Amino acid sequence: MSVPPGLVTRDVPRQEWRAAAEQARAEGYDFFDWLSAVDQSDAEEDPGLDVVCHLMATGPDAPRPLARLLLRTRVPDGQPLASLTGLFAGAAWAERETHEMFGLPVDGFDDGTGAGLRPLLLPDGFEGTPLRKEFVLAARASKAWPGAKEPGEGEGSRPRRSSSRRRLLPPGVPDPSWGPR
Amino acid sequence: MTVDLPTPRVGVLADRAPEAVRIVLNWGRRYSLWVFNFGLACCAIEFIAASMARHDFIRLGVIPFAPGPRQSDLMVVSGTVTDKMAPAIRRLYEQMPEPKYVISFGACSNSGGPYWDSYCVTKGVDQVIPVDVYVPGCPPRPEALLHGILTLQQQIAAERPGHARSRLRPRPFAPGPVGAGELTRDLVAKPDQPGAGEQRPSGRSPSEPQR
Repeated sequence: MSVPPGLVTRDVPRQEWRAAAEQARAEGYDFFDWLSAVDQSDAEEDPGLDVVCHLMATGPDAPRPLARLLLRTRVPDGQPLASLTGLFAGAAWAERETHEMFGLPVDGFDDGTGAGLRPLLLPDGFEGTPLRKEFVLAARASKAWPGAKEPGEGEGSRPRRSSSRRRLLPPGVPDPSWGPR
Repeated sequence: MTVDLPTPRVGVLADRAPEAVRIVLNWGRRYSLWVFNFGLACCAIEFIAASMARHDFIRLGVIPFAPGPRQSDLMVVSGTVTDKMAPAIRRLYEQMPEPKYVISFGACSNSGGPYWDSYCVTKGVDQVIPVDVYVPGCPPRPEALLHGILTLQQQIAAERPGHARSRLRPRPFAPGPVGAGELTRDLVAKPDQPGAGEQRPSGRSPSEPQR
């Protein structure tokens, strides 16, 4: 993957998340762009959530014009992360979304309403954290994917059993214990 | 002061009307379809293209200037219906006066389309409201919408006035018509002090979409 010019990535430990954001803001990264997560719970070492925060420098004291910074930390499953809402007010929506989509607990969340971390996008009564890899898509349990999954299969061609390629089972697809499809 | 008026219905006179009057009623209805565009995604762009000068569905009597659902006859659901949006679609559909028709425009509102296995996309708008004509495509061409409108006009020409929904008994999408209390709600108040939390609308929410 090519790195865009002016983008710096910083990996920080989970405990120093808030301090790293404060330091970045002091360096001139004053614009909060977005915050999200990547589910790395199947990683070989140190499984958990990769929380990523993208900051930009817009002021005159920027390291370079419109410099960009990716703050990244690995949060073990179930461990909380310090909130950035005291530093960037705009982080409230992003943290609410990350909380409801990935189940990330956030410490010290405050968006001024006092209502805490509450669902932002999902419909009322939704259960689960849908952007995690372990979230099973229920529609896939009742209906198979209506097309070719592997190179070489498809309508009109004989299914070839190539043992050299691993059979793919993407995240979210129910495993065979859910029954035949 | 508000007055709670009953929902206007087509009276018994239409039932007793002679055949010639029915033909005139249907003829009037099929060529003055004030349309309410429920545009949710890219299919709405194709809907807009169909309303512009090149395709111009106004020449079929479809008028895209309805001020709101309460003044419209036809609802075109064009785009991806999510479970979060489904109650709003139901609420606005119930606000439309009878007789009302629905065209489901595009693969997403027909069946979920490419998002059929998503966690948040409704598998077809016909789980929430009854649909008269389905237009397939992803997105369909404007000509497909024109053909869907012509198909709907043929259906209107063949129906008995006042009995457009009689073939839908029992209603597959909802147990019964909803009352006025479900179609209106109070204004959402701004949370005035910290700690008040989010204000929820006080009206009863429409029934959940069936999955």
